[in-house]
Amino acid sequence: MPTHTCSWCGHKSDGTTVSCPACGATIDARNVVTESGWSELPGRKDMAKLQFGDSFCQIEGNYVPVADMNLAGQDWVYFAHHVLLWKDPQVNITTMGLKGAWKRLLAGMPLVMTQAAGPGHIAFSRDAPGEMIALPLQPGQAVDVREHLFLVATGNVTYDWFQSNIWFTTRNGNETETHYPIGMFMDRFYAPNAPGLLLLHSAGNAFVRSLQPNQTILVKPTSLLFKDPSVQMQLHIERPAGTWSSWRSWGNRYLWLRLYGPGRVAVQSAYTHMEDNGRNITGHSGATEQRWG
Amino acid sequence: MKHCPKCNRPYDDQETFCGIDGAKLASDAAAAAAPGAPPNTPIKTDAPRVANAPAAAEPFERIVCEWCTAQNQKGALSCRSCGAPLDVRNLVSESGWREAPRIRDMTEIHFGISTCQVEGEIVPVAEINLGQGDAVFFEHHVMLWKDDDTPMSVMPLQGGVKRALAGMPFIISIAHGPGRIAFSRDATGELVVLPLHPGMELDVREHAFLLCSHQINYSYLRIKGLRNILFGGQGMFMDRFVTSNEPGLLLLHGYGDVFERVLRPGESLIIEPGAFLYKDSTVTMNVESQKLTTGFFGGTGMNLARMTGPGRVGIQSMYVHHTTD
Repeated sequence: MPTHTCSWCGHKSDGTTVSCPACGATIDARNVVTESGWSELPGRKDMAKLQFGDSFCQIEGNYVPVADMNLAGQDWVYFAHHVLLWKDPQVNITTMGLKGAWKRLLAGMPLVMTQAAGPGHIAFSRDAPGEMIALPLQPGQAVDVREHLFLVATGNVTYDWFQSNIWFTTRNGNETETHYPIGMFMDRFYAPNAPGLLLLHSAGNAFVRSLQPNQTILVKPTSLLFKDPSVQMQLHIERPAGTWSSWRSWGNRYLWLRLYGPGRVAVQSAYTHMEDNGRNITGHSGATEQRWG
Repeated sequence: MKHCPKCNRPYDDQETFCGIDGAKLASDAAAAAAPGAPPNTPIKTDAPRVANAPAAAEPFERIVCEWCTAQNQKGALSCRSCGAPLDVRNLVSESGWREAPRIRDMTEIHFGISTCQVEGEIVPVAEINLGQGDAVFFEHHVMLWKDDDTPMSVMPLQGGVKRALAGMPFIISIAHGPGRIAFSRDATGELVVLPLHPGMELDVREHAFLLCSHQINYSYLRIKGLRNILFGGQGMFMDRFVTSNEPGLLLLHGYGDVFERVLRPGESLIIEPGAFLYKDSTVTMNVESQKLTTGFFGGTGMNLARMTGPGRVGIQSMYVHHTTD
């Protein structure tokens, strides 16, 4: 008889275990929510164990956590090959076919996705201090993830990608440069028929917020971690008052990503530097603009 | 319980040989540690665990450190030799990886007549208070601060040209006691404290060692095989630390979290070469390549290191990824 509902993933369990068996969140942890409505990831005890199919995943470490998977014979996972940390010799790694290889190549996205089949152990980690985010996906549920943040997904989660359509152009003499503040593409993970598990790695801390229908928020584009597909995105250009616009190094502007609800959005606290050469914007995707003063 | 007669490391009853030095394990029946009892609870011993220890006239209580197997006085909260918390159980994953102990802020470690205090937790600092006659050696870029009057010298190294060509430190500095000196590295991670007993040999990824006490001999090991050099993620050399007659202290800094696993003789494990941190010299390392093809686009290659026991292998979770395209 389920007596506990996980505050992070909604999984119902009997509450007798230390951690949620679906996402590893500590059962007795308080939900830490800021006054503005951002939720921190739920606490997770070192060596927390979660289950998917007949397989298990143990999350080890605190600074740069490791996902140590014990794959059952019929289960498999896929990942970008550079996140592999170690494996048992008998775990076989093969290539997973991806569509649109030319576009992925041009966009700097991983061209090769690798898959590993059980039985055996295989472990993954990334290259920056941060948090491991376990996103159990229910049948019919999808999530959009900014490129290069995905760590590993189970075989029953499909992988696709779509154009982010967030861009602006600047001109330098006769050359036009196109900038993609959140990347040219976003990854989409979808569980069509059976529950699946998606693991992401955030740089720094991760915070999640649920937006109401038509509620909007501005976030640093490079801080975006994931969003529900129902959340829409748009570029937002903000020009402050009282500055001299010819300071090219800065461009006299703030570039934001505007997110519209309904749905969940998540950001990471250690984001990468956003590419902007400060030159005048000559074109952009659909955007809102604010001039102060 | 059983224990190794050479290094005194404890093992379960079903083990036969020591994973570090391959010695046949001796039954630990004389020790009064009850089977299944928490390893960090005080162990009442009527017989000495170390072969050459003087016979005890009376029973005494000691806490055995799970990380370095040193014995500590009853009531101690952290190990005197390695700083590991004694009131916290080892964290071991189901696959057999043991987390390096998270050393508490301001923990003090003893070696020779000197002490090391570990300060901070995100990028920990090792502050050394050197006694008269003690010394530590290190790569000069890990120095954080020192007392004005702490004497310094450099260690004469053989093969300087080879080391310079291989990108290894050309100069190893030595700080002498008495005086204080502190060290830290440049990224989030853990201090791995490895007390080395006489006769131990440890190979360490180049540039990963933070400091080492003077009782330990420092040399380097040229990695054999062109493939191992080109794709092994270590460069041409590994640091080798060898103890002679006295125990010594070696401190490493691992990026991210650090895990250790003991391989049995002939047991193998495949790791990302950039994650390698240290191994016993008995563990062999060979690079294996795997081609990942994508048809028309050619694909990419993956180079992984096969580690074969017996012995310990240490890895870091925030590894250095080496492009293999």
